[in-house]
Amino acid sequence: MATRIRRSAAPVVALTPSILIVLLAYVGTMLWTIWISFTSSRLLPVNSFAGSAQYERLFGDPRWLLAVQNLALFGVLFIGICLVLGFLLAVAIDQRVRAEDSLRTIFLYPHALSFIVTGLVWQWMMNPTLGIQESIQALGWTSFRFDWVVRRDMAIYAVVIAGVWQSAGLVMALMLAGLRGVDEELWKAARVDGIPTWRVYVSIVLPLLKPMIVTSVVLLSIAVVKVYDLVVALTNGGPGTATAVPAKFVMDYLFERQNIGLAASASTVMLVTVLCVLAPWLYSEYFRKAKGSAA
Amino acid sequence: MSTVTQTLAPATLDRAAAHRGRRPRKLTAGRVGLYAFLALSAAFFLLPLYIMVVTSLKTMDEIRLAEIFAFPAAPTLDAWVAAWSTACTGLDCSGIQVGFLNSVKILLPSLVLSIGLGAVTGYALSLWKIRGANLLFAVLLLGAFIPYQVFIYPLVRMFSMVGLYGTLPGIVLVHVIFGLPIMTLLFRNFYSSLPPELFKAARVDGGGFWQIFVHVLLPMSTPILIVAAILQVTGIWNDFILGLVFAGRENLPMTVQLNNIVNSAQGEKLYNVNMAATILTALVPLAVYFLSGRWFVRGIAAGSVKG
Amino acid sequence: MLKLMRSALAGAAMTCAFVSGAGAQEPLRAEVMHWWTSGGEAAAVKVFADAYTKAGGTWVDSAVAGGQNLRAAAINRIVGGNPPTSSQFNTGRQFDDLVGQGLLIDLDAVASENKWSDAIPGPIVEAASRDGKFYAVPVNIHGQNWMFFNAEAFKNAGIAEAPKTFDEFFAAMDKLKAAGLTPIAWGGQPWQEALVFDAVLLGQGGKELFFKVYRDKDAEAIQSDDFKRVAETFHRMRDYVDAGAPGRNWNDATAMVITGKAGVQIMGDWAKGDFIAAGMTPGEQAGCALVPGNNGYVMGGDVFVFPKLGDAPTQGQALLAKTMLDPEVQIAFNKVKGSIPVRTDVDTSSMDACAQEGAALVKDEANQVPSVNFLVSADTVGALQDTITSYFNDASATPEDFAANFADVMSAAD
Repeated sequence: MATRIRRSAAPVVALTPSILIVLLAYVGTMLWTIWISFTSSRLLPVNSFAGSAQYERLFGDPRWLLAVQNLALFGVLFIGICLVLGFLLAVAIDQRVRAEDSLRTIFLYPHALSFIVTGLVWQWMMNPTLGIQESIQALGWTSFRFDWVVRRDMAIYAVVIAGVWQSAGLVMALMLAGLRGVDEELWKAARVDGIPTWRVYVSIVLPLLKPMIVTSVVLLSIAVVKVYDLVVALTNGGPGTATAVPAKFVMDYLFERQNIGLAASASTVMLVTVLCVLAPWLYSEYFRKAKGSAA
Repeated sequence: MSTVTQTLAPATLDRAAAHRGRRPRKLTAGRVGLYAFLALSAAFFLLPLYIMVVTSLKTMDEIRLAEIFAFPAAPTLDAWVAAWSTACTGLDCSGIQVGFLNSVKILLPSLVLSIGLGAVTGYALSLWKIRGANLLFAVLLLGAFIPYQVFIYPLVRMFSMVGLYGTLPGIVLVHVIFGLPIMTLLFRNFYSSLPPELFKAARVDGGGFWQIFVHVLLPMSTPILIVAAILQVTGIWNDFILGLVFAGRENLPMTVQLNNIVNSAQGEKLYNVNMAATILTALVPLAVYFLSGRWFVRGIAAGSVKG
Repeated sequence: MLKLMRSALAGAAMTCAFVSGAGAQEPLRAEVMHWWTSGGEAAAVKVFADAYTKAGGTWVDSAVAGGQNLRAAAINRIVGGNPPTSSQFNTGRQFDDLVGQGLLIDLDAVASENKWSDAIPGPIVEAASRDGKFYAVPVNIHGQNWMFFNAEAFKNAGIAEAPKTFDEFFAAMDKLKAAGLTPIAWGGQPWQEALVFDAVLLGQGGKELFFKVYRDKDAEAIQSDDFKRVAETFHRMRDYVDAGAPGRNWNDATAMVITGKAGVQIMGDWAKGDFIAAGMTPGEQAGCALVPGNNGYVMGGDVFVFPKLGDAPTQGQALLAKTMLDPEVQIAFNKVKGSIPVRTDVDTSSMDACAQEGAALVKDEANQVPSVNFLVSADTVGALQDTITSYFNDASATPEDFAANFADVMSAAD
């Protein structure tokens, strides 16, 4: 298709659609959002400059502050548990077990289900009056308690459980793929040296899985920052406002509460935060390495 | 494509088969523990599905008893039939089947275009030296973290300016836009993990940008293409709000019907129909998982050999 | 690959040219967007659709479940230049901005021709109008301070009749508790908790306090002892609620009353639909009474707005607006919907007992109490919900703190 003469232009031509998308959709939306966050826009955007009023309100809103705290707590636990559980499942499946295909699909299927209804099912299961607590108490263990979802101090952990259920399978698949990519010679050498299997996994295999871990963390982080459906379906932000998260805050003000100025300021704060977290990693991961690898 | 399949597939499979030795004949304590862990995990993952299935087989009277774990006294498929073909959403009483074709119509071009663009972008960013490429990638990745609802209003304005709003190409473009960051990430990492000699040799042979892509890289990309397809099928198929806002009245996806059945504000909630409708809607991504589960794992393995 | 993309883009361009050309429509074709998707709701919409068809129009139904989803779609279609003929909102201030930006058509001609203002309660007229002009067609009144109870459970617990004061109410709740029931079927979602709070505010605090708080945004009234007593009463309901309440859907709470697990639910009259579906007649097996105090009828409801398609309403829009408020259509629609007619000049004797009671109340101006949605912006409603739900779900919260937080929200209200 492309002639040799146009060779040097071809990569740029190929990137044109992406450049357009990035400029118009992504950069455009980001700039627009930042501008709107300084206006007094309500249901529809208007250009009446309001200074930092929206930000003052945002940081005076206990629900927003709680949402940010919850996000940090949820993010650490969710990513941590998903990685550990995903890794353990992958290692377990990698032990020449029976029914590997079925198990893999069982761990992966939650990813395909809409959370509108699966959230309802989790709500039922964790509800103390109809779910697991009730059933186990009915079996005779009357002091059994599992009422996280209705307790203000514990509800965010209930959200973590449901989130892990939905996403751990994906991590498992990524990790399993990584395990299958480990060089066979390595295992042979380790066996000859008499190193215990668990040490091989921890000290040798785990570092080799770094690309998979990085991919998992990026995908999970995106899910964390955007977590919305999960919370709406499971607790709807409650009890009270105990499980408020930033994405729900943004959504509520964007549509139901008709204050897109405030929603935009919340989005801007999220954006800046992500940028601050992402920048050092992006730099070390891509910018420095890129100098050596480009053609 | 097929040659690569043949060369890659046995390698990964053999590796999986070989490195842990043969499946042990005797059950040691460790094996028992292993199976116990897997069984417990499987139970944790399956429990919600079990509840969904039994609930979908119950009558509403039985559901009102609120015994969620109980097996239905007289299992009935009525809810499934209703969900597929008679459940009402507004005045239209033909179940979730209405949107099925629309979802397919949205899915196929979105899938092809988003993966195609992601592949080309990832390829250009990973193997070619382009000024500002890393900045482009950084912005793209940053964009992936913005709740996509924030995009809706500006995109609606842009799309309506160029006449794309409320059309099939419009919703396809929206999926391409939102799929771009992760697709680019996938392909970029995949291509930069390939042995650099491969690309250099192709350059020495005088291959141009597109030639190398089409003749050298694309044939090797089957595994990562399948990975990308799985992620995108799930994402695009399950999308609701973008389809609702951008697709236009004639092209509303199946998830709009699902939402209508599941999310009705007032009036009796038919939980059995809701569960059946949810499982039915998920069948397409589920089928993709079942059919390509092997490939999913292999695909990433191939891409990460020398991550 | 490139070829494929090229042809796809060409195809895309052609398709969009084709679609945008299809904009022209017959005059009486009306595309109506609404969120009434459940069985009972759809039956109610059908009344409108049939009436409109009978009047010579063509009804095109665009239903999306969930008010938030529907409004997001409708607003984006309006600003995207592809508006429907009409779209649903809740009665109140949700469509303020659309009027402010000139995106809706005023219906004054239709309204004055059909004398809407004479037949519709004042607060509803106000909520549907901006600058004295109708910008929306109110179609129903949903009572929001109803108390529905399981008549048999009441009888078994020794409760002779529906409580008329809050003392009687809590005495009755104690009896239900003693009988082993969950006294109050509580839906622990912010909007439901706010709905109950407003009902208590009206019932115990009285109409005057209700208006001082929500209409006059009177900080003194919010810090008053009367308001704190209301808060205490509301908080006291915690003692009569089961552990599974947080996050519960209103219809699951209704199911608790239906199955006799719980005694009473405080909810809007849409709950009647579920009782009827379960074979319980409103006013008989499913008892209904207003929340104690009987200080009025909290009116909510739905309206339809008409995006601006020209200088005046189109023929279709005018006909649709007129049809929705036709006396016969009003009765037929509201019978199915569970609400009461927005017109006070229609004969409601064919409706259920609870609806008749509501309709009779609304005839007297003194009983007409607008819901909070009429009085403050959606933003403030949301902030109030945050405050109320935080208070109710915190066992150790005090009425003083609550009143202070509430006053904060109302001082910033608009």
